[in-house]
Amino acid sequence: MTTTEATLTVRQQPARARVLTRALPALLLLLLALASPLLAPRAIDRPVTAPYGPADDAATLGGDLLGRDVLSRLLSGGAPLIATALSIALVVTGAATALGILAALRPRLGRWVERAADLAILLPSVLGIMLIALAWPSGGRLAVGAAAAVLGIPYAVRVVSAAAAPIAATGYIETASAGGERLWYLMAREVLPNLRSTLLALFGLRFVEGVYVVSVAAFLQLGPQPPEADWALMIRENAPGILLNPWAVAAPCLAIGVLAISVNLAAEALAPARPTPETPL
Amino acid sequence: MAGPLIPASTADGATAPEDRSGPARILPGAGRAAWLVARRLGMLALLLAAVFAAIEVLPGDAAQATSERGESAADVAVRRAALGLDRPVTERFRDWMSGLPTGDLGTTAHGQPVTTVLSGPFPNTLLLGSLALALSITGALALGSWATLRPGGRVDRAVAAASTAAFALPEFVVSVALLLVFSQWTGWLPAVTLTGPDGAPASWDMLVLPLLALAIPQIGWNTRIVRGAFADQADLPHVQAAILDGLPRHRILTHHMLPGALPAIAVSTATSAGMLVGGAVVVETLFNYPGIGAVLAGALTDRDTPLVAGVVAVTGAAISTLLLLADLIRDRILGTHR
Repeated sequence: MTTTEATLTVRQQPARARVLTRALPALLLLLLALASPLLAPRAIDRPVTAPYGPADDAATLGGDLLGRDVLSRLLSGGAPLIATALSIALVVTGAATALGILAALRPRLGRWVERAADLAILLPSVLGIMLIALAWPSGGRLAVGAAAAVLGIPYAVRVVSAAAAPIAATGYIETASAGGERLWYLMAREVLPNLRSTLLALFGLRFVEGVYVVSVAAFLQLGPQPPEADWALMIRENAPGILLNPWAVAAPCLAIGVLAISVNLAAEALAPARPTPETPL
Repeated sequence: MAGPLIPASTADGATAPEDRSGPARILPGAGRAAWLVARRLGMLALLLAAVFAAIEVLPGDAAQATSERGESAADVAVRRAALGLDRPVTERFRDWMSGLPTGDLGTTAHGQPVTTVLSGPFPNTLLLGSLALALSITGALALGSWATLRPGGRVDRAVAAASTAAFALPEFVVSVALLLVFSQWTGWLPAVTLTGPDGAPASWDMLVLPLLALAIPQIGWNTRIVRGAFADQADLPHVQAAILDGLPRHRILTHHMLPGALPAIAVSTATSAGMLVGGAVVVETLFNYPGIGAVLAGALTDRDTPLVAGVVAVTGAAISTLLLLADLIRDRILGTHR
């Protein structure tokens, strides 16, 4: 472990700084979403301009289809989306960590994991969520979140078990397991600490996937319902008026885009680098 | 740097050669191909069974979902009987599954055959989807190869950042950006699709924006896979030997690295196809494009579960076919390398 630790300390400072700079826009959006009750200039459910009113002094970003203040709705429409995506990412990463490490330590279970992932690849997440949301009409946001988590787990387990497999084959794991250490101890104390960067990166990727799935579902009017303020729902509602007040659509689009791109780039910077540099052709 | 999270061996949705399960290892050529086909078919049947079971277990059924306001329980029961929802689960499941191979996808919640509802818009989505798939694969191969020439160089870093950014974006964000730039500010391309008398888009330029909106996130996704697969290939002895022999770079790429990277790329094509179906629902709604996606979006507001299940079945079959191709490609390549 000493060599990897040495390279880690060398690489740590710039890498950590890079992850932070890349995640900064997403963190700012998160802060804005949390502080929205203090910052929103107007009520989010009352008309203040004409429908699709232009951006002026009355409303900084103009009005939406009912003349409600786009800026205020933008500020308060992020929190639910971010919260749902975060919980999806937490559930998927947590479940995948446990199952993935277990699969690496117990190859017979690993084969089942492969089969489950092979099966999950056949069902595109958007279609799966449509199906579950339809068959569970009272589920709302919970149905969408649960569906996204269930559909995301097999693939994530495969990523974790691939990262854990080389660790599970190392001498110190064999020594510990021959010494009669319990399985949970092997999982939590011997394998898990070595997967830190993989898991952080995985969490970032699952968060982006969560944002994608939740926002596409909201766009298809599954989950949040009008008159709720929700970024994806705003895009769907205001699309017909894109010529009259482009901001009503462009602002929530920018918010979702910046959030997703920022977290994705940060996750990429977190991902473990290749052990050996690639040969130039 | 490119997609280290997705090493080719784990991202390519199939088992590595050394842990091939079952008879695949020992059977000769044709028998092995038959085994691969049987395995994929079994997977598909399992998925459809799971879909059917999920619909069955969750509360709410098609008869209830399509009920009008103020309809009595008796009316709902009558429609339930008309849709055959009052029969035992096992019987309905057998009917649905046995109808699938013959192209019978069951009945929508409104009592029409699912195939009738889908047959009109299907060619339009097939056109849009296959164009988007072709564009995303060629784009990804071009970008991935360009980045591989100088690992860690400026192009590589730019391609990595751009592809990571692109695949993070939901299709509707890309659609809105394209709409604002190409139809509102510049006025070069139409914002909505108008259909001609034959039900197809009236002119070719109406295809451009939906096509780009679908393809851009997929180019990002596939570029990462291609780049990762090439990086894995670069470490292999035969590629190292070719580099040391001083062969021309493009030749190393096409003749020494591409064959080994093909299985991973083939599987990512299959995954892309699935994502394109999901994306089509959004893009066709936004651009008013007359395809399956628009029908699906309508099925959501209509609460038409059987229609969605039918589309899931067809999509699953299409992805299975692509994965089977990937299996066969891998088999061929590993066969020649043995």
